[in-house]
Amino acid sequence: MKRFWNVFSLVLLVTLLLTSSTMAANEVIIGSPADARTLFAMKFIDLATHDPISNIYDPLITRDRDTMEYIGHLAKGWEVLDDLTWEFYLHEGIKFHNGAPFNAEAVKFTIDYINDPENEMAYRGRYSPIHTVEIIDDYTVRFHTSEPMPILLDRLTSCYILEPGYVREVGEEYASLNPIGTGPYKFTRWAQGQEIVMERFEDYWLGTPEVERVVFRPIPEFSTRVAALLVGEIHVIRDVPGHMVDRVNSGRRTEVRGIPSSRVNYIALVNFQEGPLQSKEVRQAFNYAVNVPELIEFVLDGSGTQMAGCLSVLNPDHDPSLEPYPFDPEKAVQLIRDAGYEPSELKLTLDSPDGRYPQDREVAMAIADQLGEIGIDVSVRVNEWGTHLDRIINRNTGEMFLLGWGPAFNAQGTIESLMSTERTYSGFGLPWLDEMIADAVGLVDPDEMREAWDEIQQIVYDEAPWIFLWQQHDLWGVNVDLDWTPRADERVLGFEMRWND
Amino acid sequence: MQRYLIKRIFQMLIVVFLALTAVFFMQFLAGDPVILLLPMDATYEEIAEMRQRLGFEDSIFVQYFRFVSRALRGDFGQSLRHPQTAVQLVFSRIPATLELALIAVVVSLLVAIPIGVLSAAFRGSWFDQIAIVITVFGQAVPGFWLGIMLILFFAVTLEWLPTGGRGELNNLILPIITLTAFYAARFARMTRSTVLDVLNTDYIRTARAKGLTERRILYKHALRNASISIITLLGLQLGQLLGGAVVTETVFYWPGLGRLLVQSLLNRDFPVVFTGVFFIAVVHASLNLVVDLVYLLVDPRISYD
Repeated sequence: MKRFWNVFSLVLLVTLLLTSSTMAANEVIIGSPADARTLFAMKFIDLATHDPISNIYDPLITRDRDTMEYIGHLAKGWEVLDDLTWEFYLHEGIKFHNGAPFNAEAVKFTIDYINDPENEMAYRGRYSPIHTVEIIDDYTVRFHTSEPMPILLDRLTSCYILEPGYVREVGEEYASLNPIGTGPYKFTRWAQGQEIVMERFEDYWLGTPEVERVVFRPIPEFSTRVAALLVGEIHVIRDVPGHMVDRVNSGRRTEVRGIPSSRVNYIALVNFQEGPLQSKEVRQAFNYAVNVPELIEFVLDGSGTQMAGCLSVLNPDHDPSLEPYPFDPEKAVQLIRDAGYEPSELKLTLDSPDGRYPQDREVAMAIADQLGEIGIDVSVRVNEWGTHLDRIINRNTGEMFLLGWGPAFNAQGTIESLMSTERTYSGFGLPWLDEMIADAVGLVDPDEMREAWDEIQQIVYDEAPWIFLWQQHDLWGVNVDLDWTPRADERVLGFEMRWND
Repeated sequence: MQRYLIKRIFQMLIVVFLALTAVFFMQFLAGDPVILLLPMDATYEEIAEMRQRLGFEDSIFVQYFRFVSRALRGDFGQSLRHPQTAVQLVFSRIPATLELALIAVVVSLLVAIPIGVLSAAFRGSWFDQIAIVITVFGQAVPGFWLGIMLILFFAVTLEWLPTGGRGELNNLILPIITLTAFYAARFARMTRSTVLDVLNTDYIRTARAKGLTERRILYKHALRNASISIITLLGLQLGQLLGGAVVTETVFYWPGLGRLLVQSLLNRDFPVVFTGVFFIAVVHASLNLVVDLVYLLVDPRISYD
């Protein structure tokens, strides 16, 4: 027995020593819910993939972190030559991690690579209107588009530039596991399912990053992720649920930092199917019947900003003259009766994902409850995310479904993708509105664009294809000693972080 | 014996083939993988084009024929999500799964067999009663809950151990405790009941009458005779663990096969799912064969000639 206790004590001692030796200086470990799929830029689309990629590669254009206005990044400036031609002027002297120079050829190579169907790039559809990239000189490129593309700058904020020589030499598969970019962090190692490690790029063109090492660690289970944050094993996590905010704030080393996001949440009111939701009055009634401020206060613990219309107030194209629908159940009942129905006749199904958006399932249930208050019978159907998306794309949902959209910083990206008849993300479409949207998409003059999109926003507001809910607040769990303010565009960039002394 | 082996290996091949066929056809219930591969603003044309490229537009039987002919050559295709082949991905996770499974089984047996034997030997004693309570608890408590509780106590409150991960010795402790709680409980209960059965047999009474010590009777006679059941259970449990301890791997972010497969299933990364199922089917079928062969060593009455 004595021998057992000796061995036990030894094991315990070794364990404690090993635990205490895991602290490393000047590194930031970011806990993510999933591993990246690839480290080849532009190939795939989820946040877990985008987060490491945005630290290794740079885009041509970015957004000012406060105003979210476009600012040059690898491109120092641009000019619209005509409706179909844009010219970009590139910074000189920027190097990729392997020492190769960044220049016009890299830009052309990247766009051509994305647009080559053989390469099966997930984002090809977003860049396909660019039919040619013309190299004017080493640091000037001209984009020729097949149609007016006012959304081009927005697209370029997430167009990460590849190193042409490297990709040609090693091929996409190798480059996916050993990426080279111009970004502030150089790839070091990727133990799949465990961690992605990157070291700061000393020659980064905007200056050497403060934090020496950034690590992305996939921790799928949320409770474990919070536990790891609380004990200081990791330093940043995204999407702390409302009910965990107090727990994180009461941690010795942790706090929640919230920021309104441009991502919006809504309940689509499907007008593709025969039934009461084809009536504008009924759809408006649903907006009067749902008490959005109450949902924000009690279901989201205050982490949301009520929307007025379909764009968030952070979206530069948002029409500020719109006011949120007020909570007015009597008016709701009246509108439903005006449309020729009794609220108690309405029996509807609301599809919700589970865990995709903050408290999504609880939100759906609370909305069903609130509509129940005026006699509408709503049953909630909760789906795994893939199934939810399948239902929406195949027009196989109930009469209502919950969805989020973002980051969204321009009218076209939201309205064209969500309100056109051929798209299904709102379950809504009106042929005459399609024409208005198509006309607006073709405009390049800023004043004409604003006027057109304002008019469309007013129509969307009146037509009420959604129950307009809120723009999400992103709640980040962060180590208190880390000097970092979250961004409205959901990006987590090691370059913007430093440890307090 | 040789004929027996050939017959068993042939049966194994059929089992693996049927498992893969079942999973192949079940994929169509899971939904369209392409929708999850493209951004939400992708158009119908883009979705259709990607489906075409990946071969999902062909008829089910064309797809099945292609799948079988490739699988026969060991080619399960490229992962739909990751830059590697499905085989590379699955094989990259096997060391972590093997490490966790083997250690968990060894620790479980080391804990369970003495408890089971002593419980049987001292049936009705306080030791037996406590052992029953603990083993019932071990089997009843969900691994998910236990894992989180262990993290909260040892990692968050005491800060003795890491919350999870892999690479150092201390990363193993909490996952192993979580798995052992379940598997040791199962082994201990099985050991106890089979040893109890054996202790009531005539030959044990004879051994006692011969004047053998109780210790010798227990470990030499009773346990050896009870071992067939334990080995059978061991084969089944090891097969299950080698397929990946999904819950434990998820809670402690252990980069094993189970986590990869569940993630691949949710992401509809079918090539990876097929490869994983292939691996698990082969492991299960092989373990069954090994267990049957081990019977030969343990029980001289058994023969396959």
